[in-house]
Amino acid sequence: MSSSRLSCKRTKRGCPTSPLFGQVLAPASSRRCDLTARELPRNAKTCRTIVGRVPREAQRNKKPDIRLDIRLQDFQARLKTYTRHRITIRSLTALLLLLTALSGSQAQDNADSVLTSDLETSLAPAALPPAPVTELKAFDSKNDHGHSVTLNWRLSPDDGAGKNIVFAYEVYRWVPFFMDSLKSVREKLSQTESAIAELEVFEPPAKHLLNMHREGKPGKGFADSVKFYEDTLAASKRLLPEYRQQVDRLRDERDEGIDRIPSAHTSYPSEGEWRKVGTVVAGESRFENVGVKDKESADYLADNTPYYYRVDAVTVNPAVRSQSDVVGPVRSSGQWFNTGRVPVFVAVMVFGFLTVYFITRAKRGIDLYVRPLAGIDAVDDAIGRATEMGKPILYVLGLGTAADIATIASFTILGRVARRVAEYQTQLIVPCYDPIVMTVAQETVKAGFSDAGRPEAYNEDIVYFVTQSQFAYVAAVNGVMLRQLPATNVYMGRFYAESLILAETGALAGSIQIAGTDEIAQIPFFIVACDFTLIGEELYAASAYLGREPLLLGSLKAQDYAKAAVIALATAGIVAANLDWTWFTTLFRVSR
Amino acid sequence: MPDLGIVLSLLVIGVGLLWLLIRSLRGQEVERRVIFVFILVAVAAPILFPVTFQEHATPVVKRLFDFIDSLPAGSVVLVSLDYDPAMAPEVQPMTNAMSRHCLTKGHKIVFMGLWATGQSILMSTLQDIILPDFPNIVEGKDFVNVGYKAGNEGVLNVIVTDFKKMFPTDVNGTPLDSTPIMADIRSCRDFDLILSIGGGRPGAKEWVLFVGDPGNVPIGVGVAAVTAPQMYPYYPQQLVGILGGVKGAAEYESELAHRYPRFAHTDQPGLRMMGPQTLAHVVIMAFIVIGNLAFFRGKKVRRT
Amino acid sequence: MRRSTYYAVGIVTALFLLSWLLRGWSLADERPDSYLRAFLVTVSAFLTLAIFSFLYKDNPFYKFAEHLFVGVSAAYWMCLGFWSTIVGNLFPRLSEEVSVFFKQPYQPGAYNIFYWTPVILGLFLLMRLSPKAGWLSRWPLAFIVGTTAGLNFIRYLRSDFIVQVSSTFVPLLGREPFQWQGIGDFLANFDLSATGQFAVLLTNWIIFVGVLCGLIYFFFSREHTGAFGAASRIGIWVLMITFGASFGYTVMGRISLLVGRLTFLFRDWLGWIT
Repeated sequence: MSSSRLSCKRTKRGCPTSPLFGQVLAPASSRRCDLTARELPRNAKTCRTIVGRVPREAQRNKKPDIRLDIRLQDFQARLKTYTRHRITIRSLTALLLLLTALSGSQAQDNADSVLTSDLETSLAPAALPPAPVTELKAFDSKNDHGHSVTLNWRLSPDDGAGKNIVFAYEVYRWVPFFMDSLKSVREKLSQTESAIAELEVFEPPAKHLLNMHREGKPGKGFADSVKFYEDTLAASKRLLPEYRQQVDRLRDERDEGIDRIPSAHTSYPSEGEWRKVGTVVAGESRFENVGVKDKESADYLADNTPYYYRVDAVTVNPAVRSQSDVVGPVRSSGQWFNTGRVPVFVAVMVFGFLTVYFITRAKRGIDLYVRPLAGIDAVDDAIGRATEMGKPILYVLGLGTAADIATIASFTILGRVARRVAEYQTQLIVPCYDPIVMTVAQETVKAGFSDAGRPEAYNEDIVYFVTQSQFAYVAAVNGVMLRQLPATNVYMGRFYAESLILAETGALAGSIQIAGTDEIAQIPFFIVACDFTLIGEELYAASAYLGREPLLLGSLKAQDYAKAAVIALATAGIVAANLDWTWFTTLFRVSR
Repeated sequence: MPDLGIVLSLLVIGVGLLWLLIRSLRGQEVERRVIFVFILVAVAAPILFPVTFQEHATPVVKRLFDFIDSLPAGSVVLVSLDYDPAMAPEVQPMTNAMSRHCLTKGHKIVFMGLWATGQSILMSTLQDIILPDFPNIVEGKDFVNVGYKAGNEGVLNVIVTDFKKMFPTDVNGTPLDSTPIMADIRSCRDFDLILSIGGGRPGAKEWVLFVGDPGNVPIGVGVAAVTAPQMYPYYPQQLVGILGGVKGAAEYESELAHRYPRFAHTDQPGLRMMGPQTLAHVVIMAFIVIGNLAFFRGKKVRRT
Repeated sequence: MRRSTYYAVGIVTALFLLSWLLRGWSLADERPDSYLRAFLVTVSAFLTLAIFSFLYKDNPFYKFAEHLFVGVSAAYWMCLGFWSTIVGNLFPRLSEEVSVFFKQPYQPGAYNIFYWTPVILGLFLLMRLSPKAGWLSRWPLAFIVGTTAGLNFIRYLRSDFIVQVSSTFVPLLGREPFQWQGIGDFLANFDLSATGQFAVLLTNWIIFVGVLCGLIYFFFSREHTGAFGAASRIGIWVLMITFGASFGYTVMGRISLLVGRLTFLFRDWLGWIT
């Protein structure tokens, strides 16, 4: 520790603010408090950053910046009191420094220790502890998969009022001593598994090198290492079976231990002790003790186990504190349904209902109107043009996967194009980026040719795979455009940065170009470089319009109604926002 | 000499544009290769004879900068490099600037990548830029590189609840449980901030959809210009801030140099690239004006 | 091949060799592997120029670079797919022996019988090669499409629908500190700055009108006539303005890439700048 820093009583780190903040920060073992003594009078902002290191569990539900600001105001108020003390201390310290400097050695260290003791003396709070927190409640955290307990309480009367000496709340859980032995088993197991992994990874290359050596092909300077490899391999051969046995035994021991966790907790209050599980700053009245569900993890918090908690209101002096009543037993458990996600559920149900309803109507033969789209009529014309010119049609499905809606819509349009191509006996080229898309495209084109009554005209080479590298794919498709000079280029699906390069090259080659994509960023390029463009959802509409399949038509209708719902909700939301009806906005809040 | 060079280049471009304007007004065709030459000159001249412009952080960039700046020292930031060498000129300056900022503030960085090619970029970033600037940082304590994992959105879907299930070790094979930086990290929810730098898919959008919203984690993005407009709807509710293209990078570099003068003399590729950018944009705007003039004149001629 | 092609190839090869030697010689003082480094830089530079040559017209050098790119990237992604997905993700969760063979750390706790599912589905996908068992390849396809659609549906519904809908709930008459106090107050405190009342109100109105009219444009169940048609036309204007902004951004992106390439040529290859 630097001699210019003050010692922090709890953390043993150089933190001049420790008498004030040390207790709050103490549990955060990995945190650094590295303010120098000179920085303190103007460190309100820096203190904010330090104090901001509250336990992660407490950070999760709110945005850190807001919390920090609130806390900053709180601590600034507290700092004023502290700084007043400090001005007096500094004068005294200056005098002491002068005296100690005259005496020569260790001046700075002595000054620091004097300052520390002065600080502690001057800041020593009243011996009376603060009033404890009341109405402490512990319950299973809602809407989770278990392994978590939430606590809330009524603030100590001395927090922000009364004596105003509460600085933080420390949350304790009663832990049986049995958990220590389980922890030690886990650690041993982890170490042994790591040792095995290291030996196993080392073995094959070592054997390989030794074989090379035996065959008289040693590497440069390898001869010196032969003995090392031989010794290590021998040790590995000897140790591995032993380690493996040990791992098996330790795993059994650990699993048994995990099963015993609930029963070990029933021995409360004997054979165990209170251990701190977290700290929250003053003013907070909620804490979530979150564990993990992975039984092998050291942070595993077993479900259906009786846990006991208490909360201590602590002052600037860690020794002066007051304990709450113990609350428990409380058991954590997982829930089947996350009520925080009701908005998603409602939306799914509404969309699902609309989709099924309209699909059923379409299947019954009820005509569902879809307005005509200019781009679609152009497809037939373009195929006719290609036939007249005796040139091929290039169909590009984009870079999307087979699961992307745009690609699925593109398959429908490809089916239609394939049928027309088969009827007119025109050549079709479909270079693919994704192998799965390629397989589906092959099926689609084959079906299109069959529908047109010309299955024999189908050729496996129509649809082919190029590469899964974006620009390499573009380079290949560009090559096709410039060498085979297709009469029509159709780009339907999901496109990224390659859209402009493709459309530009197609325009250069003099082809008629029809494009459609739901990638908003790429639509501008298609609009400027293509003759017809289907913007976003028009691609899906085109697919439904062409296919007239009940499934697609029904989905399109459901989407239209969903849009109407959005318009209605947005209008209602605007009204609510203007009238400050926050309840309406909260209906759309989805928890994690 | 550099001033003379740039003045000459500007002169060449100016005279050329005038020639183009006259040709267009006369209704004469202009060879497309001429356009390419203009762009080449407009971009090459400021590279050879550097011209720099002052940048000021716009609110959308400043908010991210301030967020990183306000995080307490020791915060753990996840930086995901979701790009390839082809995109690197645009987004690499963001990686450099944001990493420098985080390390200066004493934050811990966990590097990862959803793109396989991000891994090699990261290695060279660490070797050539980050480690020389911060020689005292220690792997495992101040930063850790967990590398690339195949699976795209699948990876995000897992790490939002269990980070170490997908990344049990770092790239060197060291178990993450044994690294101090990862001691408190169980899932993405435990990061104080996630920075996704990239521009394709998977990238920033997937981070918002699969991690930011479900995990309630603050996310900041640095994206290629092509992707930037798609990210704006998520700001400010779902994103802390956006660095869009090289302009965003330049703004961030400028803010960093302004607040931390030690970086005023380090390489600032974003700011450096704004010279060629500006000149090229001016030329392109001139093309648009000339093209429209020619179009309307042609229309008028056809009418008469 | 024509004689001119031979000449062109010969000249380019000679230039390449000359460039390699000159760059190697200039780097000799800086690094021990100067000629290797110079070779790599020269190859990169020549490939860059070969691709750029397409701007003039299609030519053998462009074709060479294109085919090299396609071939290398196809092989690269295939290898990467095997090593990162099968070796990196699957084996360590499946078999200790196999993962040790591939020098991957085995994850004993991660073993789960369900990890055999992707193995089986993967093999089914390969059945496509067999004409008789080709139908089996549809099962993994159905699995991929189904799971991805299900996974994406919820995520998109939440982030792109519910949260985005709530983002449009903006106060058209402003909120503190810009609460509407009447036209007199508005004009008295008129401010054109980005954070002023006018800008805030205008932004909120644009969001509201833009969302509504944009949605109307994508309404397919009704003919776009009358008031509906007018709203639709406003919608397409909003879309076109958005596309314009997007286009501008992309131009910037493309110029950045060109700057990156030219910087490489001038700095790493020619050494004209530092």
